[in-house]
Amino acid sequence: MLSRCGFGSLLFTAAMLLSLTGAQAHDESKYPDWNGQWRRPPGVNNQWEPTKPRGQEGAPLTPEFQAIFEANLKDQAEGGQGTDPTYICIPDGMPRAMNVIFPMEMIILPSTTYIHIEYLQMFRRIYTDGRPFPEDTDTAFMGYSIGKWVDTDGDGRFDQLQVETRFLKSPRAFDSSGIPLHPDGKTIVHERFYQDRDKPDVLHDEVTTIDNALTRPWTVTKHYNRVRNPIWVEAICSENNDHIKLGKDTYMRSADGLLMPAKKGQRPPDLKYFNAQDTRK
Amino acid sequence: MLFRIRRGSLVNAAAIAAAMLMAVAGARAFDESKYPDLKGQWDRTAQPRWADAKSAPLTPEYRAIFEENLKDQAAGGQGTDPTFTCVAPGMPRVMNMYAPFEIVVTPRTTHMLMDHIHDSRRIFTDGRDWPKEMQPNFNGYSIGKWIDEDGDGRYDVLVVETRSLRGPRSYDSTGLPFHADNETVINERIYLDKADKNTLYDEITVNDHALTRPWTMVKKYVRKPNKQPVWQEAVCAENNPHVVIADEPYMLSADGVLMPAKKDQAAPDLKYFPQSRK
Repeated sequence: MLSRCGFGSLLFTAAMLLSLTGAQAHDESKYPDWNGQWRRPPGVNNQWEPTKPRGQEGAPLTPEFQAIFEANLKDQAEGGQGTDPTYICIPDGMPRAMNVIFPMEMIILPSTTYIHIEYLQMFRRIYTDGRPFPEDTDTAFMGYSIGKWVDTDGDGRFDQLQVETRFLKSPRAFDSSGIPLHPDGKTIVHERFYQDRDKPDVLHDEVTTIDNALTRPWTVTKHYNRVRNPIWVEAICSENNDHIKLGKDTYMRSADGLLMPAKKGQRPPDLKYFNAQDTRK
Repeated sequence: MLFRIRRGSLVNAAAIAAAMLMAVAGARAFDESKYPDLKGQWDRTAQPRWADAKSAPLTPEYRAIFEENLKDQAAGGQGTDPTFTCVAPGMPRVMNMYAPFEIVVTPRTTHMLMDHIHDSRRIFTDGRDWPKEMQPNFNGYSIGKWIDEDGDGRYDVLVVETRSLRGPRSYDSTGLPFHADNETVINERIYLDKADKNTLYDEITVNDHALTRPWTMVKKYVRKPNKQPVWQEAVCAENNPHVVIADEPYMLSADGVLMPAKKDQAAPDLKYFPQSRK
């Protein structure tokens, strides 16, 4: 009798221990191993469509936004910033952040996947706890992202993270060429993150952007290479930013720290708030 | 005997199976039950000030620098507070917690996620040693160790040391300075209140050559009750009214025009413009 009790107790204890482990442990084996540091591949710069040269990426812009884009290119050629808003160190926002100018880390927990990009400390929370989108929330450059882990090959492990991002704030551009997004803030971004089947140190992000500046959803696939034992280098945009925005005008900072024109023939800034006798030439 | 053997085999098999499953789970699972529950949104309980500046054990040299900074701030300048241009506050100032923050604990790293300027921290808990060469950062390089102080089988304190800092940094917006040599070393003990699991403490000891002795401060944070907290994006550079031209701080007016930060401040030198306008 005692033996039977002992046997039963042991099984019960083992079952309890297992269920406890299951309940309180984050089973990392169910998720892909995306630890480490992810970098854009060599030769890919600040361009949205990585297979095409920057500025010639074939964005399916509406005629109205194509005209805005071309005016932007002209302004950039003259020394301006066009429709690229990030020169004053505001975040790239989504989807541009996925250009991953500086390295990226992905932290996977059951309820949230965190994406941390060093540049401007751009940071995404992708909620995977089954919540719906809120009816209303503040807009943000990085938006509000809801994700779902999918086991596409049925092997019992998740291999794909599907994400939808809404509630995006303006101004944003796809990249430094200034390809514009509509300022109505109605962009929706769909993503599929997945590891390369043959190369575990390669990650793909298939990004589809739906935006009223586009004639159709625009899909590009980004690729990232893993560094296993990374060094994280701080990138502080504001620290040595050569661009100065005064009102609607953009100027440059000279090597000696003084204001200088960004464009040929640019007029100096208005100094109406300074005493006349203090105004230097 | 037969029964005993069979029963023994069953027991052994069950025990072995359980042990194997546990081992597999242990190897592949992050056992959250070993760590304190730090999930949720944490917020500061006081103004983002380090301390009463009078209590700061500054060396005479740095006391004089601090006093000079106060005079400059009173005149409209920024003194020795470097963050007005949206550079990172750095350690330990980020622990003033300028915006609600999240702590993400993984076995390898504890992440402190703070949406302010560039405040987020990585605290490596993977047993690594200090690298031979470290690139200085505003937040430094942090190595942590989880400790089970009360021996109950669960970690209750995260002990952290931070080195390899860079400047300029100050403790808060009063401009309380750090030594320009950036040899600051910061030790922290981060733990939950034993009686109130929604209160978190960070006991921070600063070793710095601008101080006459190590200076310890305890920061207190409270957990917000919302299980799905709202995280607001903070973009310092978006509407920053401060402009620096040739190391001189100026302000932007509401209409985006350059204006003096100090009384009778001279206008910036416009020598690179062929003509100036009033």
